[in-house]
Amino acid sequence: MTMWLVSGIVFLAAWHLSAALLTAAEPAERTIDDVSRRVVKIFGAGGIRGLYAYSTGFLVSSKGHLVTVWSHVLDDQAVTVILHDGRKFEGKILGAEPQLDLAVLKIEGDDLPYFDLDSASTSGVGTRVLAFSNMFKVATGDEQVSVLHGVIAARTRLTARRGAYESPYNGPVYVVDAITNNPGSGGGVLTTADGQLLGMIGKELRNTQTNTWINYAIPIGELKPVINEIISGKFVARAERSDDSANPRRYVPVDFGLVMVPDVLFRTPAFVDRVLPGSPAAKVDIRPNDLVLFVNDDLVQSCRLFKEELGRLEAGDVLKLVLRRGNALIPVEMPVEKKAESDTDKSRTRNGKNKPADEDDE
Amino acid sequence: MNNSRTTFRSLSCLAALLWCLGAPRAAFCIDNRPADLESREELAIKQATALVTASLVRIETVGGLDRIGQVLTVTGPTTGVIVSPDGFIISSAFNFASRPASILVTLADGRRLPATQIATDKLKMLTLIKIEAENLPVPQAAPAETFRVGQWAIALGRTLDESASISVGIISALNRIWGKALQTDAKISPVNYGGALVDIEGRVLGILVPLSPQASGEVAGVEWYDSGIGFAIPMVDVLATLDRLKAGKDLTGGLLGITIKGQDIYEGQPIIDRVRYGSPAYQAGLRDGDAIVELGGQAVKRQAQIKHLLGNRYAGETVSIKVKRGSEELVREMTLVEKLVPYESAFLGILPVRDGVGKPADLGVGVRFVVDDSPAAQAGIARGHRILKFNDHDVNSPAALLDLVSRQRPLDRARLVVQQEGKRKELELTLGSLPASVPLELRPSPIVPREKELANKELKTGRFTEKMPAHEHEYWAYVPEDYNPEFKYGLLVWLHPSGDTMEASILKAWQTLCDERGLILLAPKAGQIAGWIPDETEFVKDAVEQFFEKYSIDRSRVALHAYGGSGPFAYQLAFKHRQLFKGISTVAAPLLAPPPDNEPDFRLQFHLLCGDNDPQIRNVVMSARGLSELKFPVVYRAIEGAGHKYPSAEFVTEIAVWIDSLDRI
Repeated sequence: MTMWLVSGIVFLAAWHLSAALLTAAEPAERTIDDVSRRVVKIFGAGGIRGLYAYSTGFLVSSKGHLVTVWSHVLDDQAVTVILHDGRKFEGKILGAEPQLDLAVLKIEGDDLPYFDLDSASTSGVGTRVLAFSNMFKVATGDEQVSVLHGVIAARTRLTARRGAYESPYNGPVYVVDAITNNPGSGGGVLTTADGQLLGMIGKELRNTQTNTWINYAIPIGELKPVINEIISGKFVARAERSDDSANPRRYVPVDFGLVMVPDVLFRTPAFVDRVLPGSPAAKVDIRPNDLVLFVNDDLVQSCRLFKEELGRLEAGDVLKLVLRRGNALIPVEMPVEKKAESDTDKSRTRNGKNKPADEDDE
Repeated sequence: MNNSRTTFRSLSCLAALLWCLGAPRAAFCIDNRPADLESREELAIKQATALVTASLVRIETVGGLDRIGQVLTVTGPTTGVIVSPDGFIISSAFNFASRPASILVTLADGRRLPATQIATDKLKMLTLIKIEAENLPVPQAAPAETFRVGQWAIALGRTLDESASISVGIISALNRIWGKALQTDAKISPVNYGGALVDIEGRVLGILVPLSPQASGEVAGVEWYDSGIGFAIPMVDVLATLDRLKAGKDLTGGLLGITIKGQDIYEGQPIIDRVRYGSPAYQAGLRDGDAIVELGGQAVKRQAQIKHLLGNRYAGETVSIKVKRGSEELVREMTLVEKLVPYESAFLGILPVRDGVGKPADLGVGVRFVVDDSPAAQAGIARGHRILKFNDHDVNSPAALLDLVSRQRPLDRARLVVQQEGKRKELELTLGSLPASVPLELRPSPIVPREKELANKELKTGRFTEKMPAHEHEYWAYVPEDYNPEFKYGLLVWLHPSGDTMEASILKAWQTLCDERGLILLAPKAGQIAGWIPDETEFVKDAVEQFFEKYSIDRSRVALHAYGGSGPFAYQLAFKHRQLFKGISTVAAPLLAPPPDNEPDFRLQFHLLCGDNDPQIRNVVMSARGLSELKFPVVYRAIEGAGHKYPSAEFVTEIAVWIDSLDRI
């Protein structure tokens, strides 16, 4: 019996020891190796005039479905996909959703290492992250992709201001405190420090207001439904969003009874010059010299931008303005009435001739 | 008996067994868990951020200039840090460069309030604004003695929707930008300008601003965004000046009014080259030639130290100085000023015989021409005389005489020794100021056509076009056919207006004048026919320097010539490279930005022409007036009856004579 007890003790001690070793946190190297196997290098079309012809992608099924950014690299219908160990495949485009900057490709493979999209994670500002990508195509042939480290700098949306970002994607993103904004990085992965998938690294993108590049990744959660639809063959491309740059001119300030100051400078602030008596603006007590600051929560920095915002309104909307009067901010609301056909025609002609609204006599 | 021993053994084994089961893992664990340290760091960073984030605000501006000079101003949001509970907020001057009409602040809790601009610290590039609020959270400032290179530094901003942004780095260096700022490798960009740089304990180290050691102004340093080089003004320094800013007073850097001899700021013992008239140094009795021994109580061994000691001081501050004059040591107190009295050079009234002309063995400076009604004319100096001494200094070259005269002011008395017809004569006269007219009767200085072949067979003469290899840019030029490298030629740099290089008409107007007056014409071409862009100043500078190397050029007669749209670019070029250009002649081109001060070491003369029917005439008149007030030598002429067109031969000749007289003393 003693023998049994002694061996029991020895066994338990050994069990503790090994358990302790096994549950020690994964050393960083093992995580990186693990993740790198699921990231691929994509080589394709050069676009116009020698734009870089490479990007990154990641496997999402053992049969070879992979996700990448929708970019000029995919202009040729077939691209070359190279795995971490140098195995070369031809990749075919299964489907794409340009509104999400997303493309799904397929290579003919079996038993490939892949990311399980269902176990992807989300995270908050300040969390350590790793970024894996083939930036500058430093990784050749059978080399692993490059790894960057950093933290999540912020969570934000790319819709901040119309035209602020030249991107069709306008949903939530992780902004990353690492320089991921490089040629070839698009389609790479953002993971937590222990290898959990967070997002897909986005294309090179510039914030036109500050003229600076932005390092960002699209959360997997935003992409997962469409990726699954494409893989299962049930994907139907969404209708193209109406082209904002067409600048509809459905409404003008005078439709609400507002006469703005003459728009002489590029950035004349949107000061109200006169309010027409009996108009919707008069009913909500807008006064001369009020400065229109916000239209439906968007800051308008000039007369020009104010008129653009009005131009986009549709009948039935509610127009919410925030005005500055002296040192106070005053919110007002006005319903957007349907315009009579002749009025709409008149405003079209008026604007077709580029006459500022306040020069017309009513 | 066996039983008790067995029992004991069993019990002890059982106890050991139980102990094994219950023993804390740690007893057997190998503590190699790097993730534990990392996750604690991550937590610390998040907590430090949380302590400060409530004091960060988002600032948006409305209206304002869309350009400053030729740089587009940004329109995006910027960040600010609350510095007092009643609503004072400090931010980077970066977003206020456009002088916005309206400022809007969004607090961390979502409230939006209008703000007024209170004051700007122009030395540290910070702006103070105010909102009407109460009980706002103010973050703690980290004491300066805790700053350590290598410590965690977290950069916080609030320009993105939904959350504050963070970037993690370290303090890379202290006392950067001549003592003003902390340097960090966290990513600093418009995303967090005006925001806080925070230590791992959640105290504010400093306020993030774009800065550059080489340039100044609201947008200097922005080109380094996200580069691993970022700057923050220490919070303790900001708090020290807060009361003055709250009172609405703008703060500027302080000037002493001295320049130091020598180009190398690391050379030994700094010696004063010039003391500016009317400056604090002048009023303290300092003189040219004094050696600076101590400044602000610190021993000074190199010029660089002076920049460090003064770089962080404001106008209005007092600083003590100790200088050595011969064997005497003097100690003085000086109060730094915002602006110095505009520098004005004295004028003697002669044009010197140029180096390279005449017998080299002659002493002194030959007089080629005497300006009508000048002090020299009134003292009886005439063409052919030689000036041997000025105020007891021997004069051996025109440059030496110019230097001496430039240290005097109009109405100063001066003693000269002049050689007239073989006899030495001593004169005393009262110096005057540079006239605002061109001596049209000035005849060209003779240049002998070259007799032998050019040593460098590849050197071109006549009219030719070249491409600059490094720059993808072209220029065309005209060198007189009989170019003689033994003489020094003036250089006329023609900057064409947008849309038209005017090659043919300029060559036609200037060819004969170049031959007559010994001028080389260099005409760079803008990259885009639409006009010049600020980046192209480097190309023009390189082209000019290339010509200095190839041809024999008199550095005192290098002038820019611009017409209409190329005016702003020409002014920018002249002010940026003051060591290259000595004159700038423009037609119908007003100044768009205030010029820098007139500096004794970088002589710059102006010739402004404008047709009196040209729409720009009023602006050109105002520019001329502004330049005169700063005591720049300006010649302004209105062309009667002319609209916006390149001037006629009469006026082009005047410009040529003006260039020929740029070396007047």
